[in-house]
Amino acid sequence: MMRVASFFVRRLAAALFTLLALIAVTFVVYWALPSTPAQFVYPEAQHLTAYQLAHANHLLGLDRPKGMQYLDYLWQLAHGDVGRFWTGSVLVENTKLQQQPIGPQLFPSLRATLSIILGGAALVVLLAVPLGAFAGTRVGSNSDRAISSVSLVGVCTHPMVLGLILATTFGYSHLRWLPGGGYCPLVRTSTSSCGGVVDWADHLVLPWITFALLFLALYTRMIRASVAETLPEDFVRTARAKGASELHVVTRHVLPSASLRVLTMVGMEIGTAIGVCIYIEAAFGIEGLGTLAVRAMGGATSDIDLPYTLAIVTMITLIVVIGNLVVDLLYAVLDPRASAIDDRRATKGALGGVL
Amino acid sequence: MAVSAGVGGQPRGPWASVWLRVRRDRATVVAMVALAVVLALSLFGGAIASRALGHGGAEPFPYATGGTDLVPVGPWTHVPATAQTYIDEYGNVLPPPRGTSTTLFPLGADGPLGRDELIRLLDGGRTSLEVALGGMLVALLIAVPIGSVAGYFGGWVDWVVSRFTETLMAFPLLLFLVFASAKLSPSLGGIAYSWVVPRGVVADALLIGVFTSFYPIRLIRAQLITLRHAEFVDAEHMIGASNARILRSHLLPHLLPTLLVWSAVAIATNILLEVSLSFIGVGVQASTATWGSMLSTAWGTIYSPRSHDPTVWQTLFPTLGILVTVVALNQLSEGVRRALEPRSQR
Repeated sequence: MMRVASFFVRRLAAALFTLLALIAVTFVVYWALPSTPAQFVYPEAQHLTAYQLAHANHLLGLDRPKGMQYLDYLWQLAHGDVGRFWTGSVLVENTKLQQQPIGPQLFPSLRATLSIILGGAALVVLLAVPLGAFAGTRVGSNSDRAISSVSLVGVCTHPMVLGLILATTFGYSHLRWLPGGGYCPLVRTSTSSCGGVVDWADHLVLPWITFALLFLALYTRMIRASVAETLPEDFVRTARAKGASELHVVTRHVLPSASLRVLTMVGMEIGTAIGVCIYIEAAFGIEGLGTLAVRAMGGATSDIDLPYTLAIVTMITLIVVIGNLVVDLLYAVLDPRASAIDDRRATKGALGGVL
Repeated sequence: MAVSAGVGGQPRGPWASVWLRVRRDRATVVAMVALAVVLALSLFGGAIASRALGHGGAEPFPYATGGTDLVPVGPWTHVPATAQTYIDEYGNVLPPPRGTSTTLFPLGADGPLGRDELIRLLDGGRTSLEVALGGMLVALLIAVPIGSVAGYFGGWVDWVVSRFTETLMAFPLLLFLVFASAKLSPSLGGIAYSWVVPRGVVADALLIGVFTSFYPIRLIRAQLITLRHAEFVDAEHMIGASNARILRSHLLPHLLPTLLVWSAVAIATNILLEVSLSFIGVGVQASTATWGSMLSTAWGTIYSPRSHDPTVWQTLFPTLGILVTVVALNQLSEGVRRALEPRSQR
């Protein structure tokens, strides 16, 4: 138990380090790239005077020492403040900047993206476990091949294409069974036009399917491989010898050992899942974290809105880091051998394959 | 040094026996044949097809689209061979004048511009493979020196490299690519070499390579950590071999199988990453055919998805190209892995 606890403290420290380091990287990259932040203060100006440049830098806090900027940001973050946009700031009496807070835009989109990822992941597990177990117990059969090849199509069809096909077919044009886009919050507020569990799930069914089809092949193949690998083991033979049914053997003895590998994979794929959400959100017109991230990081011509970018980086890193901590915790519960945890760390990220 | 074999002449070397095992694996042979076909078609197919059909992949044919939505024509259509649209004084589109010759579009047109889908598919295969292969090579060029130094010497170098890769791997790769392509493409995007390497290919390959190099770095490092205390390394030290020599002549050959398996998967991943970049509208210019840009011609970018109704063909052909290549590459990597470790489980 002590070893598990110390392992966990180490993981927590590593997670904190990752967050601080990524924020630092963002700052360094921002300082390294040429940009004119004064444009956010004087959006109309064609030519900026030296005074305007200096004054804008002062108002945006860029004239302070670089270390202070970093520490100030961390301090502010520690108080739960994700900052204010540079974009759309208004200069009041030439001495103050009126800026919009990022939080009110960030947190609803965070909820939307987490809804897509968590629901989609649940669907992946719901589909991949039975399919993988089914294929793994009859490797080489026609049904095994059929499952493998159908799930491959999901990998090679881009989630954007898949999402738009689903939205067109079941959403706006042809069948009209489900809403083809948009997002409804889980909890209805007085201002929102729709909300509640039913509306929420109704709008998310198609995004969940899109998400699940992409990751299905990976997990089905992995569960299939570990089931096929575990079946010849001694403890499976023992279970059969005591008279357990085949279903009981697979669900109680084979699948639990396969779940460890799936968990390792989930930890590695959290970042990928957020990346994929960019396309799912675009296909279904959902204002999510991925959409915001691309808007913050991708604008080719406009200048970089530093607080916005920092907020996005922090939020995504937090999701990945917390997700990994949860995976670690589950791992420790499922396989209490502390050595198993360290083994897992050693092999993690060894082969980031597509399939 | 000839070692006489017991029966049947020369003993097989390790690579010859790997090759033999690969050859006996039917699925892997099929995958290799498929890859050879894809490679040949993408390298030469575009030029041959445009000679045979008499039009190029970038030429627009307005009469290859129909209706007000500019719906592209379907496969095997003869299209009036004119780049001009004839309009009467009210702005209505007229049929081309009599005697205008027609040209064949074997797979139909690619979108509102009315370009040949077949030639773009073949050319796009070449560009997509160039990006994917280039990205893989760049990643290897970065990973081999860094990974081997970290894994072989350990210590603080290893600590720095490990923390650095761990940190960057925690963040979605795609967002790095989006950021880097948006900010750096203007400076890198201009690199081109006639039609062989279109604009943006080098930039895409470099960016994908740099940001996917963390995986092989970790792979190489992990393997060298277990190898550096092997007896044969101790023996090398004892006879006075330098670290550089041990790394180059004795350890790097051990990495070859792992890297071979990785590189096939990496090419497949890079093809899909290129599609992802096309949907964000960064990377290779929209006019250059890649499998990604063909899909985004059909479905729009993430900023304006589905600006017009695409035909089934526009999605089907590039997706099939991707499917065949990615599945074949995965099968090849799987087959090679199995052939390299014949004792391990399937």
